[in-house]
Amino acid sequence: METKLLTEFYHLDEFRTLAGYKKHGGYETLKKALKMQPQQITDEVKASGLRGRGGAGFPTGMKWGFLPKNNEPRYLLCNADEGEPGTFKDRLMMERAPHQLIEGMIISGYAIGSKKGYIYIRGEYFYPISVVQEALKEAYAAGLLGKNIMGSGLDFDLDVYSGAGAYICGEETGMISSLEGLKGQPKLKPPFPAVQGYLRKPTIVNNVETLAAVVPIIKDGAAAYKKFGTEKSAGTKLFSLSGNVVRPGNYEVNLAYPLKDLIYGLGGGMRPGRKLKAVIPGGSSAPVLTAEEAERATMDYECLAGMGSMLGSGAVIVIDDSQCMVDMLGVLTHFYHHESCGQCTPCREGTGWLNKVVHSILEGRGRLQDIELLLKVADNMKGRTICALSDAAALPVLSFVTKFRDEFEFYVREGRSKVRGVRHAEMHH
Amino acid sequence: MPKCTINGKEVEVKDGTTIIEAMYGKDGEWPEGKVAHYCWHPGLSVAGVCRLCMVEIEGNPRLQIACNTMVTEGMKINNTSEKVKDAAKWGLDFHLINHPLDCPICDQAGECGLQDQYMEFGKYNPEMAEKKVKKHKVVDLGPTVVLDTERCILCSRCVRFTDEVSKTNELGIFNRGDRSEIGTFDGVPLDNKYSLNTVDICPVGALTSKDFRFRQRVWYLKDAETVCNGCSTGCNVKVYFNREGFFRVKPAYNPDVNGYWMCDEGRDLYKFVNRENRWLKAKKRTYNGIEEMMPGAAAKDASFAVKSLGDSVALVLTGQYSVEEYESIVSTFANDLKSKRIYHWISNPEKANDFDGLLLRGDKNPNTKGLQQVLQKHGVNTNWADLLSAISSGAIQTVVVAGPENQAVYADMKDKIRDLSKAKNLIWLQTGRNHDLEALTGNVWLIPMKSYVEKDGTFVNHAGLAQKFKKTTTVVSEALTLTEASDLLAGKQLVIKPETNVFVESEKPADRVTVEHRKKNEFVFRRGTL
Repeated sequence: METKLLTEFYHLDEFRTLAGYKKHGGYETLKKALKMQPQQITDEVKASGLRGRGGAGFPTGMKWGFLPKNNEPRYLLCNADEGEPGTFKDRLMMERAPHQLIEGMIISGYAIGSKKGYIYIRGEYFYPISVVQEALKEAYAAGLLGKNIMGSGLDFDLDVYSGAGAYICGEETGMISSLEGLKGQPKLKPPFPAVQGYLRKPTIVNNVETLAAVVPIIKDGAAAYKKFGTEKSAGTKLFSLSGNVVRPGNYEVNLAYPLKDLIYGLGGGMRPGRKLKAVIPGGSSAPVLTAEEAERATMDYECLAGMGSMLGSGAVIVIDDSQCMVDMLGVLTHFYHHESCGQCTPCREGTGWLNKVVHSILEGRGRLQDIELLLKVADNMKGRTICALSDAAALPVLSFVTKFRDEFEFYVREGRSKVRGVRHAEMHH
Repeated sequence: MPKCTINGKEVEVKDGTTIIEAMYGKDGEWPEGKVAHYCWHPGLSVAGVCRLCMVEIEGNPRLQIACNTMVTEGMKINNTSEKVKDAAKWGLDFHLINHPLDCPICDQAGECGLQDQYMEFGKYNPEMAEKKVKKHKVVDLGPTVVLDTERCILCSRCVRFTDEVSKTNELGIFNRGDRSEIGTFDGVPLDNKYSLNTVDICPVGALTSKDFRFRQRVWYLKDAETVCNGCSTGCNVKVYFNREGFFRVKPAYNPDVNGYWMCDEGRDLYKFVNRENRWLKAKKRTYNGIEEMMPGAAAKDASFAVKSLGDSVALVLTGQYSVEEYESIVSTFANDLKSKRIYHWISNPEKANDFDGLLLRGDKNPNTKGLQQVLQKHGVNTNWADLLSAISSGAIQTVVVAGPENQAVYADMKDKIRDLSKAKNLIWLQTGRNHDLEALTGNVWLIPMKSYVEKDGTFVNHAGLAQKFKKTTTVVSEALTLTEASDLLAGKQLVIKPETNVFVESEKPADRVTVEHRKKNEFVFRRGTL
């Protein structure tokens, strides 16, 4: 069963307009929030146990608490650079309910004392960009943004910034660099964005879903939000289900929802005659789960971390027994090689190296020691760089090779896929 | 003042010190053991991209980079554990997998950061069996620097240099991932007065100097520290030389003068020291023609036109000699010869106080301050107009000129030669060749001098800082210092020093050439400091 806390009215076309949004209780929460003290809102968010929905799962209230307690100008940035392969929840949220995001951002901006926010949207999202821009116009016209919002004396400005197509700009400091007009490369930490971020001012970067979730938290209170999910993984989450399932799509369920229910219940299960082989539970960077692990997994931060994987952005990629794991790893290593920003050496060189080794195997030139080499290279890319892209590139390699080693060994020995029976190159001819 | 423990040894550092700074020591001695690094440079901001300077901090499960981690009270740092060594090994291997390893044809070989640090920290069993990334090989960045993007390890030092030090921002990193390349924007070449510093700080052979590339293997060069004589800043420099001459100049660290940098102009100054640009023998020109002689003999020969003429002898000094030389020549003229006609030849007086904000100064003499101090001490107070009128009136019969070493910055050279050659006798002391002087008629002695790298001395820079420099080598062994020349001109017995013993024979026939005997195998291998 879905728990539609955010997506309740997503099926209504009118929900994306201001009038339609207001009809279903929109901007009522903002009114309530404006009567509260900023600190109360922050405390409420802290109490709700809301964790970052972009991938890292960092507690949102705690993040807000890192801001310096002074009157320095500060920025609220919405990270809508949804680039993690398999993830498409932010797109839906922006397309179906842009005002939900705007309302969440005004409330959050009020809470952290920011007068200016940006929504950094992935460059390829032409349609969501236009929808959000349209919604911003409506909000400005209705006095919901700009000076003296709803007569409360609060000023808050919001702008859309379009990315230029780099995955790395989804990393918060990479996004800040890009927003500053620099090359989209992550910045060295410390200083952290909460202390020195956009234009060297204190900055909070939150995911679309995180900011939107502030609305129901303030509306019904932290206690009501905490009823969903578990103690440490509270609330609901949108999961982007894709891959070899009958009904792929976005599903909002409470956290700790069993993965097998997501796949076999909401997702409609496997195609006829196919068996589940593996699941990537949190976007392509999350280590893969075997079918047996997927049967036991629940979709919350702790359970997946306990299995050596992660909830990530909530992109569930289902892999059935018709897929060749070597082939799939080739797609992933190609992606990370293409997207590494090239700043840190282990990532810049390592992603290319991994990609070349996997493709050597795919082209039938693999050596048995290459399998061990993949593990060694990936192991030495982990935790050695400024941002997490290097880890994101290394983790799939480590998990694919360890959990499906037989497929890799078969490929190297026979020069063809164990599943498909042919070599990668032949497959495309 | 936090106290920390580095490899078991307690160290106290200043507030705000990073771990790598704490370990670097004063001038790169690495007292607690070297930390592998490429992108970190003490004179630049922290980039934290090479990921080599990993250290282990007690209580932190992840290795941290030493360049961006501040030392805190009680921190326990270790860089000798297997975990740290392994990280450096793999870090180096990542640097090398796409490096072309063309060391045999690379100019940096012998002083290369990759070579040096691989010897020290490397993995020694490369496992890369794939094709390397191909990039551009000979990229012309500007008038001074050539780039090989395949050798580049993208440490971003050069980019940060143009960003932070020269503030010209010509360089950037283009593209991303392992396709990244250093480059310039179209129509904006790397062309600034400090561009060659990028070559110095490049830890590999990616940036090479157009002037130096392919001219010498660095292991055939010796280096010695001296003081640049290009302008009144007095940057501390290292000159690189062998028996074929001088080949390049690089900055030496001095926090009080030039920090880690020097200008491009200063790097060209080795050229006028080399034999091809020097007077090797003295020339005596009379109405009977030209006679070549040994410098010492020429000075002795010219002494009749100096020693007994008293106040009708004038001395003209440029600001390019050492304080010691000024002291002896001025006291010889003022005390022994009783001539108060001592003049300071100031070239470009209107530009004397120019300063570009970093290092370059308009006064192109290294020792103007030193000369002024000596003149003041001896109570010399003359002006140039008097000299010219005294020459034309015949009150001055002999002019002794200590000409500039770096003639290129003396724009008024021609005029001064014309003016001064009006005197009956002209004795011109100078290191380098000059066609105008050689074409003069009348009683002219042209006597070769030792250049600044061939003698000990002191320069006083614009701020009054006296800097001693040592003799590095001998290029023209017969040449004189100003002290020796003044003694000989005054008819005094020369005080013979061991390295100037060639003058003992200077009265022998002039065509005798004294060959300086050098030790064989004088070339020592010096590991370049990164």
